[in-house]
Amino acid sequence: MNGFLAAYLRNRGAIAGVVVLLFVAFVAATASVLFPFSPWDMRGIPFAMPGEMDFLLGSDSLGRDVAAGIAYGARVSLLIGAVSTAVAVFLGVTLGAIAGYAGGIIDDAIMRFSEFFQTVPSFVLAVVLVAIFSPSLGSIVAAIAIVSWPPVTRVIRAEFLSLRSREFVQAAEVLGRSRLAIVFLEILPNALTPIIVLSSLMVANAILLESGLSFLGLGDPNMMSWGFMIGAGRSVIRLAWWMSVFPGVAIFLTVLALNLVGEGLSDALNPRLARRR
Amino acid sequence: MTLLTVENLTVALPPGGDRDHAIEDVNFTLDAGEILCIVGESGSGKSISAAAIMGLLPPALKVQTGIIGFEGNDLLRLPPEAMRVLRGRRLGMIFQEPMTALNPLMRVGDQIAEVLQVHNVRGSSSRVPELLAAVNLPDPARLARSYPHLLSGGQRQRVMIAMALALEPAVLIADEPTTALDVTTQMQILRLIKDIQRRRGMGVLFITHDFGVVAEIADRVVVMRQGHIVETGAVAAVLDTPQHDYTKALIAAVPHLARPPEPAATGRPVLELVGVRKTFWRGGGLFGRRVAVPAVSDADIVLRKGETLGLVGESGSGKSTLARCVVNLVHPEAGAIRFHDTDLRLLSRANWKPFRNRIQMVFQDPFASLNPRRRVGDIIATGPMAHGVSRHEAHRRVRDLLALVQLDPGAAERYPHEFSGGQRQRIGIARALAMEPELLIADEPVSALDVSVQAQILALLEELRQRLGLTMLFITHDLRVAAQICGRVAVMQRGVIVEQGLTSEVFSAPQHPYTRGLLDSIPGRSWLPPVA
Repeated sequence: MNGFLAAYLRNRGAIAGVVVLLFVAFVAATASVLFPFSPWDMRGIPFAMPGEMDFLLGSDSLGRDVAAGIAYGARVSLLIGAVSTAVAVFLGVTLGAIAGYAGGIIDDAIMRFSEFFQTVPSFVLAVVLVAIFSPSLGSIVAAIAIVSWPPVTRVIRAEFLSLRSREFVQAAEVLGRSRLAIVFLEILPNALTPIIVLSSLMVANAILLESGLSFLGLGDPNMMSWGFMIGAGRSVIRLAWWMSVFPGVAIFLTVLALNLVGEGLSDALNPRLARRR
Repeated sequence: MTLLTVENLTVALPPGGDRDHAIEDVNFTLDAGEILCIVGESGSGKSISAAAIMGLLPPALKVQTGIIGFEGNDLLRLPPEAMRVLRGRRLGMIFQEPMTALNPLMRVGDQIAEVLQVHNVRGSSSRVPELLAAVNLPDPARLARSYPHLLSGGQRQRVMIAMALALEPAVLIADEPTTALDVTTQMQILRLIKDIQRRRGMGVLFITHDFGVVAEIADRVVVMRQGHIVETGAVAAVLDTPQHDYTKALIAAVPHLARPPEPAATGRPVLELVGVRKTFWRGGGLFGRRVAVPAVSDADIVLRKGETLGLVGESGSGKSTLARCVVNLVHPEAGAIRFHDTDLRLLSRANWKPFRNRIQMVFQDPFASLNPRRRVGDIIATGPMAHGVSRHEAHRRVRDLLALVQLDPGAAERYPHEFSGGQRQRIGIARALAMEPELLIADEPVSALDVSVQAQILALLEELRQRLGLTMLFITHDLRVAAQICGRVAVMQRGVIVEQGLTSEVFSAPQHPYTRGLLDSIPGRSWLPPVA
């Protein structure tokens, strides 16, 4: 474990990623303390410049505090990123494990099913799903999870295919262990590394998808979110650039941080690759 | 005439390893027209010595002191450009793994021609068939146009030798060139190297771990251990009257071909295979036609209580497939696998379970056969727990099992990567014995191990067999090992058992031509290790 930490800390970008993520999480957690009012409330004159009238990052066309919107929006982004990734990983690991371990017709069936989702552009599919089920936190999480599980399935299946023929798995078979025990106790722990790396990138992707959806007006109408703020500020960008720039910077930094963390994890968990650079 | 002198060569390991130097204070010379074998176990620094001569050390390893004298130059202090000219032209090298040493996207002939072009030799294309013929490859003109995947391992190694010899180097360095090959191919390659060396008067530096190969090919021997040279001398002197204790121990660990003949076992048959057949299907898919690859055809074997049957053969002979048929890892399509009175082939997965207690298996690769994420104690206790023994009871027995395979009881709390190859193989044996089996299938249990560790594991298996009354099916490609441990042997070739009988009889009077060929290919067959 110490070796892992040391390898991770050797990557400066990865440290920066963690710092930014911790800051975003801190802001999300303390949003109601820092801004003890609803982000939808009118707090002053519209189009206040950043720094004017106690507005740290300015106000929008209805006099709402942009800084408060970003803080509350961080909650939505992180929540949707985490939950939808968890659902997608659960789906992907289950299907991938079955496909990789069982092989044959079951493998073919599951992989063709996953290709069905991969042939449709994921954002378009997400838009359609949210539009059909009416925008809400639940439907957004479901839509993002549904479009993002196939890569997990493919990765897990590939890991299982190679691990299944390893001698320790055969040994477990010869010892008479049940199929469930072999899949979950023998193979899965050895296939976790790529999943950990992949999920950090999936969280970033989910945040982008959610921002895209709420930009198009398909976000949860009761939740302030970064994409919605950019969408609202889009038409007045010449007049009030801060309305769309600051939420944009928030999305950019969070997604960049998650990618840096993902790369750091992948280097640290696969030391042979990291050393070669 | 001395070609190459290595003086006081010391190569440092990166800090934090288990020792400071990969090799320390290594001195030897190589004369023209001789074959010098560097022999040692894994980690002895024999390959590092060769890499230092060729200037191919990994970047993390730095030469600290020493001189490598060759034709008036110190190779360690030559600029890289000068070294590049020497490599290939004056110093040739062949590697261990012929399967990966050739570029898969280039025709064999072009790869050899490239060596000549790089060194600005004209008329390269006409010399290629000549070179291929010199390494005894059939139909050189056609072979030069083939891609590497069409060639067998032995043929690829010949191509590698042809490349190394293209510019008639003065020194050829061969780093375990036959380790990845089957015995019959190994013998051909050894003879080829020796033959070319005689004809051209080259100096050959031959690195190996196998004393049989040393006896077959060497003129002089350097024995290395943990980065130091422990003994140097003429081959006869080192092999027959070793001076250093380590050399003595190594040679004593070489499996002895001679084993006192035993009476044939007459007990009840434990395992009977009748007409077992297994075919693998390759290719297929939506459009392709499937190709049948027969792995085992009509194998008949009887294993009686308390005996050890050796299943010997080269790679691809189907010996491992047959063993996996017995434990139901591979499902044969025909025949009967009778264990006492039950035909195992017809059993469902659930009905098989009770037999898991009675038939166990030890695997080949000590690094792949233990789950890296689980503690040793859990690995050993898994089997009994899967069969209803309580967790407490299973872990209590782990201690006894570790003692049985001569490991420290503290090992139970550690992870597999903390152990050496030999220790891991002991853990694998303990895992199999935890089930208290009556039939133990050992699939090449010692072929990934160094010779001294191999001797310990073989001794352990033999002792356990006698103490616990095990019946054993022992799969190996190494005839010396088979001769030492097996009462009877069955010889497999391309999925067919061509000969079986008492070990002493098969070895002294082989009936089938293939068996005869195998026996003639044991490296250093004429050399009998002095019995300590």
